[in-house]
Amino acid sequence: MSVSLWTFLTILGMMGVTYLTRITGYFLLRNRNLGVRAQSVLEAMPGAVLISVIAPAFTSDQPADLIALTLTLAVATRGSFLLTVIVGVTAAGLLRHLI
Amino acid sequence: MTNADQSARPPSYWTEFRRGIAAMAPALLGLIPFALVLGAEATRKGLSPLEVLLLCGMNFAGGSEFVAVELWNNPAPFLLIIGMTLLVNSRHVLMGAALAPHLRHLPKRKALLALFFMADEVWAFGIQDARRRGGLGAEINLPFYAGLAAALYLTWIFTTVAGSLVGPLFGDPTAYGFDMAFPAVFLVLLKGLWTGYRAAAPWLVSLVAAASVHLLVPGAWYVLAGTLAGLAAAYIWPVKQ
Repeated sequence: MSVSLWTFLTILGMMGVTYLTRITGYFLLRNRNLGVRAQSVLEAMPGAVLISVIAPAFTSDQPADLIALTLTLAVATRGSFLLTVIVGVTAAGLLRHLI
Repeated sequence: MTNADQSARPPSYWTEFRRGIAAMAPALLGLIPFALVLGAEATRKGLSPLEVLLLCGMNFAGGSEFVAVELWNNPAPFLLIIGMTLLVNSRHVLMGAALAPHLRHLPKRKALLALFFMADEVWAFGIQDARRRGGLGAEINLPFYAGLAAALYLTWIFTTVAGSLVGPLFGDPTAYGFDMAFPAVFLVLLKGLWTGYRAAAPWLVSLVAAASVHLLVPGAWYVLAGTLAGLAAAYIWPVKQ
């Protein structure tokens, strides 16, 4: 098991860039008092990021994927992580083999 | 992170820490197959298990690690990998901004340590927990956050290294439906953040924008485009607290 210097430097660079993205927002907003619009934006932000990250799942052209996603969405409204993951994974796995 | 927040919160540090681990568990179920695949793929590209450990332990941002491993060559294309890492992880800036009001009470040193572990899932569970207790003014629950971070971090580095050791024995995890675990976890998180249709309107804008950009533009731009579209909607039509 070895680590080449160039690989280590590349990983170090990735770490630097990634950490920078993680602390930038904090330093920008740490000591601010926020107006109504800024609060509304921050309020909407977690949901906007989450839905954007999973948006590709909604663009699938496979009926099996879309049915599984609809089932997952329906179960998600009950609010249980474990149940939703189990239903989602099982439905996607089964429907892809059946359809 | 040794002293728990002592402001009138009955549960002990370890109770909250364990609650964090338990909250993360379902997300780990979906993550493990992908971590194994990432490790196996990294081995195929010529990375040693120790290098996989460094990559996942130092960078700790899964999306950018998948992209980096895809681009890996001998020698690694340094600038391309750094640039793509910045692009894929640019959403962290917005996530950190959203988390900032909940970190104000922390000393800078602790906030900076907590931010190192701000992966999507840690951030999402942490911020959801804080907002459920007191909206934008609530402090982050540090022991809970530490539990989330420890569970995800250790699982991630352990499983990617395991994947690199056992090698490419695994097929495509999408064949078994494991890729649905990620949307499933995120949809339940959204349900947890739900405060009504009016407040969720920007999410719909985000979804439509992100899906459109994903279909039209190659690469990871859809995350940034979708997020910014939703934020623009929240700015133009502010929701009163």
